[in-house]
Amino acid sequence: MKITLSVNDRSVDVDVAPSTMLVDVLRDELGITSARATCGVGLCGTCTVLLDGRPVSSCLLMAPLAIGKRITTVEGLPDDDAVVRCFSERHAFQCGFCIPGMVLTARDMIDTGRANTPEEIREGLGGNLCRCGCYVKIVDAIEEAAR
Amino acid sequence: MSWHMPTTVDEVLRLKASKPDATVVAGGTFLGLVIRQGLLDSDEWISLQNVDELRAFGTAGDLSAGAMVTHRRIETEPAVRRDWPGVAEAFGVVASPRVRNVATIGGVLADADYASDPPAMLVASRAVAEVASVRGMRRVPIEELIVGHYETELDDDEIITRVLVPRPTGSAAYRKLRTRSREDRPAVSVAAVRETGGVRVVVGAVSDRPRHYPDICAEWRPGDEQSTREVAAAYADRIPCLDDGRGSAEYRRQVVSVEVRRALMQVSR
Ligand SMILES: Cc1cc2nc3c(=O)[nH]c(=O)nc-3n(C[C@H](O)[C@H](O)[C@H](O)COP(=O)(O)OP(=O)(O)OC[C@H]3O[C@@H](n4cnc5c(N)ncnc54)[C@H](O)[C@@H]3O)c2cc1C
Ligand code: FES
Ligand code: FES
Repeated sequence: MKITLSVNDRSVDVDVAPSTMLVDVLRDELGITSARATCGVGLCGTCTVLLDGRPVSSCLLMAPLAIGKRITTVEGLPDDDAVVRCFSERHAFQCGFCIPGMVLTARDMIDTGRANTPEEIREGLGGNLCRCGCYVKIVDAIEEAAR
Repeated sequence: MSWHMPTTVDEVLRLKASKPDATVVAGGTFLGLVIRQGLLDSDEWISLQNVDELRAFGTAGDLSAGAMVTHRRIETEPAVRRDWPGVAEAFGVVASPRVRNVATIGGVLADADYASDPPAMLVASRAVAEVASVRGMRRVPIEELIVGHYETELDDDEIITRVLVPRPTGSAAYRKLRTRSREDRPAVSVAAVRETGGVRVVVGAVSDRPRHYPDICAEWRPGDEQSTREVAAAYADRIPCLDDGRGSAEYRRQVVSVEVRRALMQVSR
């Protein structure tokens, strides 16, 4: 089926089966590779994108469910985004694989006022895994970005 | 292959009546999983995404949530947190915000997964589902809606349109024990809701459906430690617990006796 999606404020037409997951559309059809399918079952957070500003697992989201919604990946954040800047300045990453998901999850936590304490930030990152174990710096970076 | 996007409930019901094999899509989180695992493919999909009526939400009398209301909405809505704190809690501990942002109250009831959080609390709270088809509408208590493993008593042409939760008259507790990770499903869950003259204790995630035993609950005396222990032990004894990756039957029985006791202590005050 042909559907129109809004990705990072750009309108794009794609031809997909209804059972195609959004992450595959982003990567294979649109070449946006920051969303990564790892666990594929909604647990790890590396495929996180924002749908109308709220984080979702794109590995489990049937692409037509995104019709009419704003899809944002890290590529679509403004150049001066505070979260990106704080991750970068604090070197809150090693390999970087999990970071797009971490940044978008943090963006939502800050936008909805749920990043007020380190405990709250850790709680909010409950479903985002970092195999490199950079959690301490990630939490610090988010805390700073929230200020 | 078609993806239908009706905009009214009537239109959904007509479609469902004419295509009983079509798959209804709500948030798509459960469907996403089974599609990924290769367990489901369908030629016809009926998406509820554009049916605004199903997102209606009210807290004036009963809590009234259209089938498409998300877990996140129920969890964060100030009126729910204030007046139905047990319900807000049970929806708020589901998976991660990523899942709760899309998962819906209609979806979690229709998929009838034994390891879900909200059903136990909804049964304990005497919640009722409105179920509709072209043949009409009926009200089904959640206690009767979920009948077994991934099994509801919905007919092929029916959908859930709304869930109603009466205003609580007493305190509530929801306890979720996870055995693997923060965002995991429960290995054992206990919902306890006080009401005039008693308590409703419902244990979820340990057998095919939420378990509620009114005869055992009737033995409870608030604040009395002995009867609290006895109720907990009787639940552990009666429930046919299952084995899975989250815990053995034996382990679950043990945890049920502890968690029921703790839940009752929480609602004693
Ligand atoms: C990673 C992950 C972790 C999870 N962890 C938890 C957890 O900790 N606790 C927990 O409780 N749950 C958990 N879940 C389950 C999740 O809550 C359910 O998948 C979700 O509630 C289903 O809702 P949905 O709107 O996405 O349903 P969908 O996937 O859209 O639909 C589910 C089923 O219900 C049918 N359906 C949907 N809406 C209706 C309706 N209105 N009428 C009739 N039939 C309908 C569909 O046809 C389908 O069969 C988890 C899920 C994932 C992916
Ligand atoms: S790949 Fe989607 S959550 Fe892990
Ligand atoms: S930085 Fe490597 S996985 Fe997080």
